[in-house]
Amino acid sequence: MTEHFDTRVRLELYREFVRTAHAPTTEGLAGLMQAPTDDIRAALERLAAAKVIVLQPESREILMANPLCAVPAPYRVRVEDRSYFGSCVWDALGVIAMLQSDAVLDTSCACCGEAMSISVSGGQVAPAHGTIHFGIPAKRWWENIVFT
Amino acid sequence: MLLFRGEEHIDRWCTQWNQPRGATLTIDQAWQLAEAWYGNKLDPDWRRATVDETERLLSKLGLTGSFWNLRAQV
Repeated sequence: MTEHFDTRVRLELYREFVRTAHAPTTEGLAGLMQAPTDDIRAALERLAAAKVIVLQPESREILMANPLCAVPAPYRVRVEDRSYFGSCVWDALGVIAMLQSDAVLDTSCACCGEAMSISVSGGQVAPAHGTIHFGIPAKRWWENIVFT
Repeated sequence: MLLFRGEEHIDRWCTQWNQPRGATLTIDQAWQLAEAWYGNKLDPDWRRATVDETERLLSKLGLTGSFWNLRAQV
């Protein structure tokens, strides 16, 4: 029963996040699902404990519904007339993969700040200069996913 | 996971922020990883991959060695 409800909350929050390009609030989800806010809050906590999403440390609102990031980040994905943020370049590419849309990722070199972009069209990434650095070994990614 | 203009920029960034050098991927490799990792995220029956499944995925993309080992003590 709880698992089924959590799945519904997960699907609704992603659907709304994709539709509006903004993370829904706990109250917003409660309204959309016509469910008590406390039930939604509890479901979000369970989803976070299961590492499906990441909540903001104090407000407990959505911070990441991976690969989507709820707050402005240096990796912006433009899809048609909407913009999404990824917490890192992999997540930003993940947004494009998840949406299965043509898109442009705007960012900059993490070292020197020079503007960079990556275009994806028809499921193919256009040739682009750049190298991606994974600083944290895979086993430790979720020790501090925000830092990762 | 950060994007850099090239290897020299990664070295400079690691030095500046006193961070160890990790692993590097081409943009195309990262795109393949993103597609495999997130391509089904909106599916109603999506679930987190198990460690075994993740290992197989990383291996399939050629991401092997201690950095990508999910069980190693690192």
